[in-house]
Amino acid sequence: MDHTTIRALARLGAAAAALAVAASMPAAAQDFPEEPITIVVNFPAGGGQDTAARLIAEYAAQRTTVPIVVTNVTGAGGATGTRHVADAEPDGYTVGIIGSNFVAQQYMNENATTVDEIIPIALFGPDPGALEVRADTGITDVAGYIEALRANPGSITNGNDAPGGGSYIVAALMERAFGIEMTKVPYQGYAPTVAGLLAGEVMSATLPVHQFADQHKAGEVIILGVAADERHFLVPDVPTFREQGFDFVAGDWRALFVPAGVPEDRVQYLEDLFFETMSDPAFVEAANAAGFVVTPMRGADTLAHILRTDEEFYPVLLDAGLVTVNQKEE
Amino acid sequence: MLDPFFSALAAILTDPYLLALSVGGVVVGTVLGALPGISSTMALAILLPVSFAMSPEAAMVFLLAVFSSSVFGGSISAILLNIPGTPGAIVTQFDGYPMARSGRAGHAVSIALLASTLGGLFGLAVLVVVAPVIAGAAMSFRSPEFAMATVLGLTMLAYSSPGSTFRGVLMGAIGLLCGMVGFDALTDVSRFDFGSATLQAGIDMVPLTVGLFGLAEVMRNLGLRREDVPEVPKMGSIMPPWRTLWPLWKPMSRGSLVGTFVGAIPAAGSAIAVVVSYAQEMRLSRTPERFGKGAPEGIAAPEAANNACVGGALVPMMTLGVPGDTMTAVLMGALLLHGLRPGPMLFADNPDFVGMIYSGLFFAVAATLVCNLALIRVIVLVMRTPRHMLMIGIAALCVVGSFAIRNSMSDVYVMLAFAVVGYVMGLLRLPVAPLAFGLILGPILEENVRRSLIVSGGEWSVFVERPIALAMLLLSLVALLYPVAAAGIRGLRGRKAAAPAPAAGGQDPR
Repeated sequence: MDHTTIRALARLGAAAAALAVAASMPAAAQDFPEEPITIVVNFPAGGGQDTAARLIAEYAAQRTTVPIVVTNVTGAGGATGTRHVADAEPDGYTVGIIGSNFVAQQYMNENATTVDEIIPIALFGPDPGALEVRADTGITDVAGYIEALRANPGSITNGNDAPGGGSYIVAALMERAFGIEMTKVPYQGYAPTVAGLLAGEVMSATLPVHQFADQHKAGEVIILGVAADERHFLVPDVPTFREQGFDFVAGDWRALFVPAGVPEDRVQYLEDLFFETMSDPAFVEAANAAGFVVTPMRGADTLAHILRTDEEFYPVLLDAGLVTVNQKEE
Repeated sequence: MLDPFFSALAAILTDPYLLALSVGGVVVGTVLGALPGISSTMALAILLPVSFAMSPEAAMVFLLAVFSSSVFGGSISAILLNIPGTPGAIVTQFDGYPMARSGRAGHAVSIALLASTLGGLFGLAVLVVVAPVIAGAAMSFRSPEFAMATVLGLTMLAYSSPGSTFRGVLMGAIGLLCGMVGFDALTDVSRFDFGSATLQAGIDMVPLTVGLFGLAEVMRNLGLRREDVPEVPKMGSIMPPWRTLWPLWKPMSRGSLVGTFVGAIPAAGSAIAVVVSYAQEMRLSRTPERFGKGAPEGIAAPEAANNACVGGALVPMMTLGVPGDTMTAVLMGALLLHGLRPGPMLFADNPDFVGMIYSGLFFAVAATLVCNLALIRVIVLVMRTPRHMLMIGIAALCVVGSFAIRNSMSDVYVMLAFAVVGYVMGLLRLPVAPLAFGLILGPILEENVRRSLIVSGGEWSVFVERPIALAMLLLSLVALLYPVAAAGIRGLRGRKAAAPAPAAGGQDPR
């Protein structure tokens, strides 16, 4: 859409329409994109991060002229893929997706990417934390869970990620918020944690809601509470922590980013592209069907969100003795 | 559960679009599976975007066809080229390649195909009929059981690896060490990375097997002088005679049984299944010395197990929403993208779709059989391709395949390094397969032993308190100690005592 075309349209009396189109398309983006855009997922195909990225790619491709490709660069708890994007040519053709464990890794792994090496472009949405227990524990609400642990510290085994992962942080934040101590049992990702809880190896888990929505309905597992501002649409019968009198909000999120150094106009183009994609009702519907909560944010807000997460996580990581690099000055 | 199954089957058979998708999926899957460096997981991941535009039913029919046929495809290159197309086919080449070299390539591929079909159907039958029961049993597996299952797998590996047991154990131990490189599974602490970011990602199974088996084989061929290049063996007939085929029903059934159950245990996967079923056949055989030299049972049993794992792995995915391995994880991702969540509610809410998945898998197995039976004559022609051209092609595939697994150059370097290792090991007559299995099983063993101890509060008794774990531990001990004990008894009683009772586990390993 160059200026002559706009003028031509204006002359035809379609000024309003043309303005709307021009406003949604950054003027300097005419030469971008010309090649396919790649979204690099830092976890294996089939996982939550991958499914989210593929949904975004599918819907964003309808709004741009080039194909959007998803590739998986995995390893080192997600650090390898993030590093891959941060080190990529800063031309805007390589986009990465991160979750909250990005924040933790900055302090745990000297090779991990730090926040000043990336430009956040959009937030996909939160993956609210939740607390689930096996039905045979006899615990039916958050208060009961906390009571059991206060009476007998460490008596409940909780399935979660390895230290630094999303569900580990939720568990650690909970311990800190309520002054309790669980026995945290690490699993390699969500699916093995689900298996561990169903097999009865652990008594509770701190995974996002959608992992257990079915088992909750079947009565095998009870979701005690959702650590979000609002109830989760998959299990509307489960109250939030706050409703039960515990001020606790925690969980994972997903965001898109590009390496630092990408020209501003291209960042703007990508931000518009992905923010508008994620605001598209058709996209939201598809994402909800897959179990995702969608609350899109633009780049600046996403950065603020990442920094907020940082403030929240850092003391927990420090307490757990996990901060080995980039230690903050007191 | 059977009604939706049959009506869905009828739907596929009467719908030319679904039929074409399934057959197309089988052809693509077989080819991708046969290419060294493209595992079943990758084949699925590559074709996942293709399935987006389809309806959920069509997408599942297509992806299941790819999944099921790629498992068989991996065996084709194992048998014909001594290069496993997928890691699950490593054991198939122990006997498949010698058989092919002795002029019975057609027989070897046919046996593998028939065993795959039988295994696939068995796994499917179990999935359709008793999925909830199997899922319940598999779900009683906790970390101690996983750990002991891996111990059993490793023991069986030492037992079944060609050549001396000592060398097998040695290589297995090196494999275990390689499995420790990179992020520690339980604490995310990086180990043995020598400060390099590339090694932090660990050594992936695919570049390792591609290097050890694929590029190393190319290098071995490079080392041959023109006159040393082995003559192209005769193709032989395609179908083995009935008297060879008939007795194989037993190894195939045993392999199917092992494969289905082991496949159903989340994370155990086909690696344990193929090793256990191969060792089991060797043990039950009256002539174990034929193994590794082209024994048909050595192809039939692991091949049946490998394919039975497909049905087995779908059991926890369908009934509990827990993917059993990386392949089913991709399948589950595909379902999620279509807004369908596998698990207990899917059966209640959408029984027709469940029937569609089952019949899609059935049709995939059938189509794999029919398509490949028709094409075996063409497939074995690979052996006739001029050696130098074939090797160049394989070398290129090795590089591309190991890069593509997670789009990282470091995997290519890992592949190159292990090609040299594999070549040198070949010169030293050390078996390579245990190294690969050590790498696959090592991390599972370590993670589960440590997790067991976290849960038990450091009590090692956790491994003997649980009956299934104890049984597997005892089985491993028997397998390890039996040769020693048998030799002792032989020494005491002379040759007469050397014929052991079959029930006690057969002959000692070579």
